[in-house]
Amino acid sequence: MTSRVQSRGPVMRAFLRIKEDLWLQGVAVSTLTVALAIMGVYLALCFNLYQASSRLLSGPSLTLVLDNRIEPDEAAGLSAQLVRMPQIRGARFVGRDEALERFRGQLGPHANLLDDLRDNPLPNALELVLAPEHEATDELIALLGNQAGVIEVVTSRPWLHRLEAAITSAGDLALALGLLLFLGVILVVSNTVRLSVHVRREQLELMALVGASAGYMRRPFLVEAMLQGVAAALLASLLIWLLFAMLAAPASLPLGLNLEQVVSFPALLPLVLIILAIVAGLLGGFLGVGRTLRQRRLL
Amino acid sequence: MIRLEGVTKKYLGRPDAALKDINLLVPPGEFVYLTGPSGAGKTTLLRLLFGAELPTSGRVLVGGTDLGRLPPRKLPLLRRRLGVVFQDFRLLPQQSVFENVALSLHVAGVRDAALVRRVLEVLAQVKLLEQSDVPAGTLSGGEQQRVALARALAPSPGLILADEPTGNLDPDNALMIMRMLVGDYVGGATVLVATHDPTLLSLVKGAKVIHLSSGRLEERS
Repeated sequence: MTSRVQSRGPVMRAFLRIKEDLWLQGVAVSTLTVALAIMGVYLALCFNLYQASSRLLSGPSLTLVLDNRIEPDEAAGLSAQLVRMPQIRGARFVGRDEALERFRGQLGPHANLLDDLRDNPLPNALELVLAPEHEATDELIALLGNQAGVIEVVTSRPWLHRLEAAITSAGDLALALGLLLFLGVILVVSNTVRLSVHVRREQLELMALVGASAGYMRRPFLVEAMLQGVAAALLASLLIWLLFAMLAAPASLPLGLNLEQVVSFPALLPLVLIILAIVAGLLGGFLGVGRTLRQRRLL
Repeated sequence: MIRLEGVTKKYLGRPDAALKDINLLVPPGEFVYLTGPSGAGKTTLLRLLFGAELPTSGRVLVGGTDLGRLPPRKLPLLRRRLGVVFQDFRLLPQQSVFENVALSLHVAGVRDAALVRRVLEVLAQVKLLEQSDVPAGTLSGGEQQRVALARALAPSPGLILADEPTGNLDPDNALMIMRMLVGDYVGGATVLVATHDPTLLSLVKGAKVIHLSSGRLEERS
């Protein structure tokens, strides 16, 4: 017994406290799990939307609809000719069959709707990526439309511009909302620690009376808050993974919507949540213990 | 050494001051009884001495340190030089006798062999060596007060403050505790015992008796 006591550092004292009151730990971890799960869903959605918008913005911004009679080698020639233009960064030929396959993939579990088609209705196309400093001006569109074999020029550039502007302003809002959510998590941790401090107020009073410093009293609570945070982060990650797995399941989605890209589980999310939980545990624990000790005139 | 200079303590919402213009000097190594009826201000005076309260006016000096000017972060250092014993023992009931006593050394950074040696030494002093591994909450009242006393003595304090230390004890245990608050047991420390029990006053020969009445002080011997 005596040898065990003498080596009790803050980590061991934190573990002993956790063991002392498992009910309190359960309450703390479940409260934190909910808070971190909300934060995690928000982060995952932000991450996925950012990825999706990046794909859109870096994707083709002009599509040339080609005559169906054009041969692939003719399309390759046109493609080579176009990429020599300073306004065009890249060009890719998408044949009718590939376009149909792509469409089939986008329909996901409802792809069988296409089985009844007698003919492939989709045209051959060239997807063009513009150089960053160039726009799809009327002159360029007219120039491309005059190329042999080109039936129509389809541009999504104006729409993408609006999307880019919206993403830029939404980014600031998302950051502010994220910080607000994180503040909420810190307050949850802080209140959980205060509950823990309240339960152990007599122990703390006693420690203060025999000359324990604020750090001595605070450290086990910080360790405890961090351990609770890590446990809650792992549980929250599991919950989010299950939620996203359910949402992304094709059978559960109406109208053939494919949300896999928007609700995919980011691999780094558990690590991010653990780091956030540890930071929140440190800040919340520091605030929670300090406030309670000062209120009780122990410091 | 304890010095109080014109100390007045008022609590918010109470019309009368708990302590009124107290002037007191207790030289090092002296044994002092602080007597008076309940509500006379004995506990307030002790709380001022271990920094749990600040005076409304006046100065409280303990070992030369003015507690009114002491930054809160330095208060623990002062408390490590004090031993405090309460009527209600204030132990950690689920922890062993050893752990309770070790606490006052552990918070001061004493570790390993030095900690074990000192704890066993004071437990032997208060005759609780056999019970060192027993949870403190399972002991009798007299034994629990001896644990509290051992915890107060463990850091070898220069000042021991005891607030009604025998209030919850039978006469035999009360006598034993009072004997442990004098002489070699306390190693020459200044001892201030607050009590409203006049029968205790004859137990320590030559002790100074300070009487508090409605917050005012009278020195009797």
